[in-house]
This record gives sequence, structure tokens and C-alpha cells, in this order.
Amino acid sequence: MTVAAGIGYALIALGPSLSLFVSVISNKPFLILTLLSSTLLWLISLILLSAIWRGFLPFTISLCWPYAILILTSVSFQEALRIFFWKLYLRLEDMLNAFADRAAKPHLFLTDKMLIALAGGLGHGVAHAVFFCISLLTPAFGPATYFTDRCSQVPFFLLSAIIALAFVTIHTFSMVIAFNGYAEGNKVDQYFVPVVHIVAGMVTLINWAPGGCTVGIPILYLIAILTLTHCGRMVSRRLTENRIRADHS
Amino acid sequence: MESSILESIGVEIIGVMSPVSICMFLVVLLVYSLSSDNPFSSPDSTIRTAANLVYVENPSDSVSQKLEGALLNAVVFVILIAIVTFLLVLLYYYNCTNFLKYYMRFSAFFVFASMGGSIFLSLIQKFSIPVDSVTCLLLLFNFTIVGVLSVFAGGIPILMRQGYMVCLGIIVAAWFTKLPEWTTWVLLVALALYDLVAVLAPGGPLKLLVELASSRDEELPALVYEARPAVAPRTGGGGGSALGLLVTGAMESEQVSSSSIELQAVPRRNVNRNDNEIEILGGNVDNYVVTMGDFRDEDSQSVRDGEEERSPLVGNSRGGQFSSADNGRRFDGREGEIVEEMSPLVEMGNNEGQVMSRDGVEIVDRGIKLGLGDFVFYSVLVGRAAMYDLMTVYACYLAIISGLGCTLILLSVCRQALPALPISIMLGVLFYFLTRLLMEPFIVGTATNLMMF
Repeated sequence: MTVAAGIGYALIALGPSLSLFVSVISNKPFLILTLLSSTLLWLISLILLSAIWRGFLPFTISLCWPYAILILTSVSFQEALRIFFWKLYLRLEDMLNAFADRAAKPHLFLTDKMLIALAGGLGHGVAHAVFFCISLLTPAFGPATYFTDRCSQVPFFLLSAIIALAFVTIHTFSMVIAFNGYAEGNKVDQYFVPVVHIVAGMVTLINWAPGGCTVGIPILYLIAILTLTHCGRMVSRRLTENRIRADHS
Repeated sequence: MESSILESIGVEIIGVMSPVSICMFLVVLLVYSLSSDNPFSSPDSTIRTAANLVYVENPSDSVSQKLEGALLNAVVFVILIAIVTFLLVLLYYYNCTNFLKYYMRFSAFFVFASMGGSIFLSLIQKFSIPVDSVTCLLLLFNFTIVGVLSVFAGGIPILMRQGYMVCLGIIVAAWFTKLPEWTTWVLLVALALYDLVAVLAPGGPLKLLVELASSRDEELPALVYEARPAVAPRTGGGGGSALGLLVTGAMESEQVSSSSIELQAVPRRNVNRNDNEIEILGGNVDNYVVTMGDFRDEDSQSVRDGEEERSPLVGNSRGGQFSSADNGRRFDGREGEIVEEMSPLVEMGNNEGQVMSRDGVEIVDRGIKLGLGDFVFYSVLVGRAAMYDLMTVYACYLAIISGLGCTLILLSVCRQALPALPISIMLGVLFYFLTRLLMEPFIVGTATNLMMF
């Protein structure tokens, strides 16, 4: 029974990404490579961050402001990483186009670029879910479960799976938004992404308060849905623009 | 319009990475399901093998004692491996391929039957599978025989051979994970270093082997996983270029019964060009072409016309130098192989491709080959990581896969046999300790307070 529960928690966190992976990414080898490298990049960033914070952990005082600082620095570091990822991607795009020329194939389409962004975002999201949720799941397969003091209604594993799902969504689609924002030079999109990320991170601070998870998690999902709809609207706008342009030319 | 460049880049890399991932995943599952209460992995029943010949690790020993003992173990193990590799090279040099062939068949049989058998037994015990001994024996016997045949005979679907290769890797790796912790880590590092020397240094045994094989225009005598799936029976037609698709290999494994390590060398199968085989070849040509068709992108029609198509072998390699049809046809017939012979190496041989001609189309197939030793030791690392925590498993997996990716990229740049272990193992070990020492307290500290970002 607990094995089924453990698998269930894992699927709550990663199920949507899994179906995204199978349906979109897995048949294009290059996207798999993008996903893997973005996951690795995220892991490296996490290791660097934890190396910095290692000296201060665990916090002895039971206050939440050190965590606020921690989340603030981590998020800003990761947003810097996103810009680095974008620079890397620009180079990659040139390289891919050069290869496409050589192989007598068309250059990257708009959808291809979006797919690369999606794969990169999914890599970040999956890395988040894997390290913050799945890797803590090992005890869930055992004969017991675990409740935290601050949110004692729901098992900790289920809670972390639910939070991880929200973050997977945010990470995945904010990468698409950010890449489009960079490509178009659209300031709103460029700032939208870090703001969403920071707000989402800060919202998890609400969980600090006893019973805060009943407030924090709905807000988190609100943010995730906001990201999703923003991304959807932006992609459909770009695609229709692209089609109109293609029709005219 | 439909086929973008995204679909054709990296096919080879994924072709190698996916079996490695599957192998690692299964080893981790195996380690997890068997790690608790059973004799298969209980620490007190440490079996003395060549890998811990000198020193048997005891949890109560001091750190320096453990380190010293583990170092000694690793040195002895590597020396043994080096000796056996030289022996293999000598045998190969004097054309004792028949001896090697039969010996390796026996070894494969032994690995499947006894080591695989004991793993199955402990699985049956663990999950209380109701199966009687006669049925179990029969199943095991069938599994073993088909395994030996598929590894060493032609005319077997490549998918099956690949499956059995992965099986072989899993079985050996599962046994290696029984080594004590310190010995495992030192051993892995030592093997990576040995691999580096053996493949790259002049006079290194694996380098000698590769050169010998390529000067004879033959396949390498090593157990190798072939990543190119489309080519079922890899027999060359036409002008009799290289055929023996059967790569052979040597793999080391500890043999419990004799309590010493024996190297199990799998000799390369010589190509017997008897009528039978040619018949098989003929019968399979259609298959071959059809499969190729599935893999072909539209524009590979141009390949048919004899144009050289250039597409990158690896995303960022200097693509212009590589002419490769997307799917493993190529006209200059380079062949990338990663060969393991006791320890893995990646080889990109020159002009070892098989040429197949039919209807005036010359198809040379190529594949990246990864030695079974890579499978084994990658999986050992991940399996060892699995005994600590899931977090280290993910970190090590990512590190190994990215190391493999780097090796493959280097392969396409250097175009010579490369060791596949060093980069991956070093990254894997590094990430393991970083994760364990730095990341875990951080993650656990924040996540148990329900704070994430």
C-alpha cells in the first residue's frame, strides 16, 4: 500500500511533465539533450547555492527571515542563470542553423525555438521536482508516513508533491515566456518571469505559519495558473503573427 | 518542412544514452529492492573476490585503515585486470580467436546462469514469488542459452542482443555493488585512471588491441553494446568488407565460486563466411533496407544519389568534417565504437564500417559502440549512490550522462578510440560527494519546512 502511495506522490509531482516529455520531447533527440543539460545546469546551481549556505544551516533560530533571505538569493541566482542559459541558447541557435544549412534543411522554425525553450524549462522544473520532492520520497515507500508540525492535516510527502507540481509548471512555462521575451525584446515578459519566480518562492514562506499551507498552496496554484495562461496567450499570439507574416510573404 | 533539424541531431547520442539509462535504472531498482533483509546484500556475508583480495573492509576500522586497504584492493584489482588484458592481447595477436571465443561463451554462460541465477533466486525470495524449482531451473536454463546465443551468434535480432547486453551489465553491476563502500569508490577511481592509461598511452593494452584490430581490418575483440539498431545481422555484403558484427569483448567480473576474479574475455567472433551465413545475409538484405528506410529523413534520398550529406554527428562537433548520413549510413565508413575490454573505451575506428551494396547503393553503417564495462561501472556507481539516498542517485545519474555526452563529443572531434570511464566516473564521484556533503542538508532543511523556490 505504501509503495502505491509513494508512486502516487511521484506521479502527482512529475506526471504532467512525464506526459509532456513523452508526447513532445522524447521523439526529438536534440530536445532530450537540451532537457538533460538544463537539468544538469540547475543541479549545479543548486550545489553552488548549498555550498554558499552550508555554513549557516541549519538555522538555529526559529524565525522565518533567514529563509526569506535564502529564497531571495537563490531565486536571483537562478534568474541570473536563466540569462546565462539564454546566451548559451543564442550560440546554439547559430550553430544549429549552420548545421541546417549544411544538411540542406530548413532553419529553425518558430515552433522549434519554442520547443527548445520548453525543453529547457522542463529540465529546470523536473530538476526542482526531483530534488525537492522525489528525493525526499524514499521514506514514503516504507511502512510509515510523515507529518510536519506546521501543516499537520496532510502528509508531508503529499504536500511536497503538490508544491512541486506547481513549481514544475511555473519553471517550465516561465522559460518559454522568458525566451520569447528576450527574443522580442519585450520588457514585460522579461520582468514577468523573475517576479513570478520570486513571488512563488515567497509564497511558500506562508507555510511557515501554523496552518499556513491552506492559504499558501492555493496562492501558489494561482500563480502557476497565471503563468500557464500568460504563456498560452503569448504563444498563440506569436504563432498567429507568424502565420500572418508567412501568408504575406 | 516537417522534418526540422532537431530530429536528426543527437540520434546517436541518445541511442547510447538510453540503454545506459535503462541499465542504471534497473540496477538502482535491484539494489533498492534487495538492499534490505536478504542474504544477497547483507554486509556480514562479504564475499572475497579479486576486488577485495587484500583487505576486507570492516565498518569498525579506522578511516586511514579503510583508505589504505581500499587503495591496496584497487591496486591489486587494476594490476590483475592489466595482466589479463595483456594476455588477451597476446592471444589475439597469435590468432587464438577460437580459444577466446569458446572461453568467452563459457563465461557468458557462467555469468547468466550462476550470477544471474542467484539474483533471480533472491528476487524470488524477496517477493515470495510462487515458483517451483523445476520451472525455475527450466526458465533460467532457457534464459541463459538464449543469452549466450544472442551475444555470440549472428542472425539474432539486434534488439535482443542489445537487451542481453544490458542484462549482462546489470547482473555484473549488481554483484559489484556488494563490495564495501570505500573499496568501491577507490576502485572506481582507479579503474577510470587505468582506463585512461590503457586507451591513450602508447603501449597501453587497449590501445594495442584497437590498433591490432584495425590493422587487421577486424572488429575489436571486446564485448560491446552497439547503438545502431537498424542493422540486424551485421554482415557485410558486397566486397567483403568488414563484417563480423559480433563484437566481442572482455569483461571482468568477479567470480564468486572461485573467490577470485577472472576476467571473462569474450572473443570476437570471426566471420565465418560459409554459405549459411551468406544466405542469412541475403535473406536479411530486405530487412536491412526497410529498416534503414524508417530511419531515413527525407533528404537522405540525396544520399542514395551518392551525394555526401553532411550533418553533425554530435551537436557541436566540427560538423563539416564528418560526413554522415543521418542514420548511420556513411560513405567514408568511419565507425565509432566504444569498446570495452575489461574496461571501457570509446573507439572511433577508421574505415571500419561495413559496406553493403545493393542496387548500386552503397550503405555503410556505423554505430557508436559502448563497452559493457562502461555499463557495469556506471551502474556500480549509481547503485552505490542508491544505497545512500535517492538524491545522490539523481545527481550521479546526471553527472554520468553528461560525462558520457562529453566523451561522445570528444569522440567526434578526436576520431579515435577514447576511454569512456574517466570523465563520467570523475564527475559522478565529484557530484556524489558534493551532493552528500553540501546539498542534502540544504535541501532537507528547506524542504521539510515546506519552503521551495
